[in-house]
Amino acid sequence: MRFLIAVAALLALLPFGLPPYAMTLLTEALILGLFAMSLDLMVGYARLISFGHAAAYGFGAYASGNFLLHTSMPLPCAVLLAGLLGGLVAIGVGWVCTQATGVSFSMLTLAYAQLLYAVAFKWTPVTGASDGLAGIPRNPGPFGVTWWSTKAGFYYLTLACLLGTFVFCRELVRSPFGAVLRGIRENEAKTIALGYNTRRYKIAIVAISFGFAGLAGALYAPFAGFANTELLFWLLSGQVLIMVIVGGAGTLIGPVLGAVFFLYMQQQLSSYTDSWALFFGVIFVLFVLFMPEGIWGLILSRFGKKAA
Amino acid sequence: MDFLPFLVTQCLNALSQAALLFFLGCGLTLIFGIMRIVNFAHGAFFMLGAYVGYSTVHWTGNFWAALIVAPILVGAFGAAFELGILRQLYGRDGHAFLMVTFGLTLIMGEVIRLIWGVEALQVKPPDSLSDIVFILDEPFPVYRLFLVGAGIVVAVVIWQFLERTRLGLLIRATSQNAEMVHALGTDVRLVRSAVFGIGCGLAGIGGVMAAPLVTASLGMAPNAVIDTFVIVIIGGMGSFLGSLIGAVLVAFVQVFGTYYFPDFALAFMYLIMVTVLVVRPGGLLGKEA
Repeated sequence: MRFLIAVAALLALLPFGLPPYAMTLLTEALILGLFAMSLDLMVGYARLISFGHAAAYGFGAYASGNFLLHTSMPLPCAVLLAGLLGGLVAIGVGWVCTQATGVSFSMLTLAYAQLLYAVAFKWTPVTGASDGLAGIPRNPGPFGVTWWSTKAGFYYLTLACLLGTFVFCRELVRSPFGAVLRGIRENEAKTIALGYNTRRYKIAIVAISFGFAGLAGALYAPFAGFANTELLFWLLSGQVLIMVIVGGAGTLIGPVLGAVFFLYMQQQLSSYTDSWALFFGVIFVLFVLFMPEGIWGLILSRFGKKAA
Repeated sequence: MDFLPFLVTQCLNALSQAALLFFLGCGLTLIFGIMRIVNFAHGAFFMLGAYVGYSTVHWTGNFWAALIVAPILVGAFGAAFELGILRQLYGRDGHAFLMVTFGLTLIMGEVIRLIWGVEALQVKPPDSLSDIVFILDEPFPVYRLFLVGAGIVVAVVIWQFLERTRLGLLIRATSQNAEMVHALGTDVRLVRSAVFGIGCGLAGIGGVMAAPLVTASLGMAPNAVIDTFVIVIIGGMGSFLGSLIGAVLVAFVQVFGTYYFPDFALAFMYLIMVTVLVVRPGGLLGKEA
């Protein structure tokens, strides 16, 4: 807990010491970190591997993009509402996808993402087709506050979303609900035999996870000022899964580190070579082979703690 | 256009599409049946087949040479990957395989981009197959007829291979009870490497055959892997006959769906998959949920 407050304080102080370019990068890292943390709820705790997490991210981005473009809804409200909407839609998605287990579940989530990707190309009035939505504003308000539209203000909004999500998720995985999720991860048949309707728990965690991923996407649209079909593409789903695994699944903090690591590597490698994705693929394979517990898992085991 | 010629040519179209999908689906299902591994890189092997096919045609000027070279090279690469990397992972849970093969997909995509560039590459079918025949007075490309024939031949060959040969027997036995096969004195690890190689080689043939129709491009891998998974999930993971049924079903939905409802063709495919999963979670012919 003390550690958490220290990190939060450090992150809150950073805008005073960093150049604008680094601030932009850090904001993007926090958004991706939130996205990766949302996936960790499914991957790390319930062992539900989503291959279509970009669907939730893109959904959130398009939703908040439309709210901000077509209404005068204040930025924080648009972001929260988009996340909430993403979570509600995901109840239906979760219902369908949890018909299957294991690999079929992963493939169903991938199919859902590809379906949204195809829809986004056709549904021009809402998604702008292949052009995407451009010029998404950071609307002022509520109560006439315009602070959000500044670089620092947007950073604090993102940081608040990330910390809020982290506290919520940490309480969630420590609650009896989280214990059932871990039961599903370790031995679903046994959990059913103990009298839990595991399907309901799985649908719930899919909805929560997709909701937070939607929140991340909803932040990304006003951050970048645009939303396009790239945000729904399967490659992004794969990248976020890499962040979770490299950072350390089942730790909540690890995936955020994974996102920071990913973005940092991308920045560093892309200045040397076009094919940074090649190096990232190799790093990912090496992590799965030799360090399945990830960066944070490794740090934790150094200090004699075990990941949940 | 009259209805009957239209129907016949569309059906043939769908069957040629089914042949390509079957090359992908049966390789994936074979690998899953033996190894309980889901090979996400299957689409990448398919893509590699198309590019190797392109280079072979480019150098030798002979499409038939490509049909032999590509599956051998792709299959050998697949077997090497199994020996070098996947073998480390037996005993870990199934998701490790999914993630490693996903990483391989990223790597192969980048390497192919570095070697062959980003432009889509045109592969010419051999002259004897680039004609058009008239079926009930409707023009129809010979190449698609060739695909239908090739699909049937390969399906029969694999079926006979699994039923009649010693390796086929070992493969079926390993999929039933690997430990017992091992105890009876067969090195199961070799069977696994062979099956992984054969499955990847089949994807490679599919890639070569698809290249004249769709050109060799970097977008092939994700599209192929999704179609393949839909087929295998509909047919049932690990079922050879299931992959055949799934391929035909998906191909007909794709061809007729694209004709009648171009905007919803993709949705139909997923709708069928979801319906199958709701009614029979293990797929039409699958054993496990």
